[in-house]
Amino acid sequence: MKILIVDDFSTMRRIIKNLLRDLGFNNTAEADDGKTALPMLKTGDFQFLVTDWNMPGMQGIDLLKAVRAEENIKTLPVLMVTAEQKREQIVAAAEAGVNGYIVKPFTAATLKEKIDKIFQRIEGGA
Amino acid sequence: MAVETVINDKVLATAERLIVEMRSGNEDQAAQALDELVRAREVSLFQELGKLTREFHDALASFRVDSRVSDLAEKDIPDARERLNHVITMTQNAADRTMSAVEHSLPLVEDIANVAVELRAQWKRFQKREMNAQEFRELAKSIDVFLGTTETKSADLKAKLNDVLMAQDFQDLTGQIIKRVITLVADVEANLVNLIKLSSQKVMPVNNHHDAIKAEGPMVPGVKTVGAVSGQDAVDDLLSSLGF
Repeated sequence: MKILIVDDFSTMRRIIKNLLRDLGFNNTAEADDGKTALPMLKTGDFQFLVTDWNMPGMQGIDLLKAVRAEENIKTLPVLMVTAEQKREQIVAAAEAGVNGYIVKPFTAATLKEKIDKIFQRIEGGA
Repeated sequence: MAVETVINDKVLATAERLIVEMRSGNEDQAAQALDELVRAREVSLFQELGKLTREFHDALASFRVDSRVSDLAEKDIPDARERLNHVITMTQNAADRTMSAVEHSLPLVEDIANVAVELRAQWKRFQKREMNAQEFRELAKSIDVFLGTTETKSADLKAKLNDVLMAQDFQDLTGQIIKRVITLVADVEANLVNLIKLSSQKVMPVNNHHDAIKAEGPMVPGVKTVGAVSGQDAVDDLLSSLGF
């Protein structure tokens, strides 16, 4: 499974990358905002997306909407990892079709729990 | 414009009369023309002053309408202060967390290294057949203990290294906060420029339209964010109420 990590801060990308590796996901790639991420995702190479919300260029919420609007990647599981935690924002992300929502700062256990949950749902729904 | 032309024509006529009277040596008439000129000058000076006062009043009034300025002074600047204090706290916590993990890890590595050096020396003796059966039994026991503690200490070490990794999340969160403060400083700068232009230009009121899902960066203790939930549990509760 190939995972794309999108965050404008390289430190956070490295943290997520290392945590994912610890969970057994060794195949990851990085992008620093939605604009760079979208063409990478459109290639169909990725099976999972972890994205921040607040980024210059294209924000995470817009990337999520763009993914859902694209025929060949519209079912891609999307986990949002962000410092944004207003009710309206969480509701908007849910309405846009996010699969999981983690607020920063987070723990390795939370990341594992949310990823497990997403895969359980996908397998349960399939 | 028409008024000014009339005034200028009148001043010009008086000035011409002044020259004529002076050349003719009519001192009284010349003095009278001069007085009229000075009076005309005073009138236009008062008119200019009146115009300036009106402009100044208008500009002040429109500046008061611009609520962004009072927002900056009353809310955003104290907000920025809280945010920057929070940055100090977060960097402090990250540094403490990292140093604690390192301080905890160093003795673990030292212990493993010390015992390894000791065991290796004994192992060398065994290879050179300088060891009797009793000593070998003790060595075998020591190796068994060493393998056990190495396993435990490695797990402990790995946990501490992960802790160091996670402590670096401050860079993202403080970066977001500092970027917001930089935006605020730019905002203050723009408003100061407006203030300087006050006497000559009308300041347009700022559009205070608020976008509910606009990204706002990390939560800061002491800074209220309207409509924010607190922490992962609250996020999970909200999502599960939405059928997640």
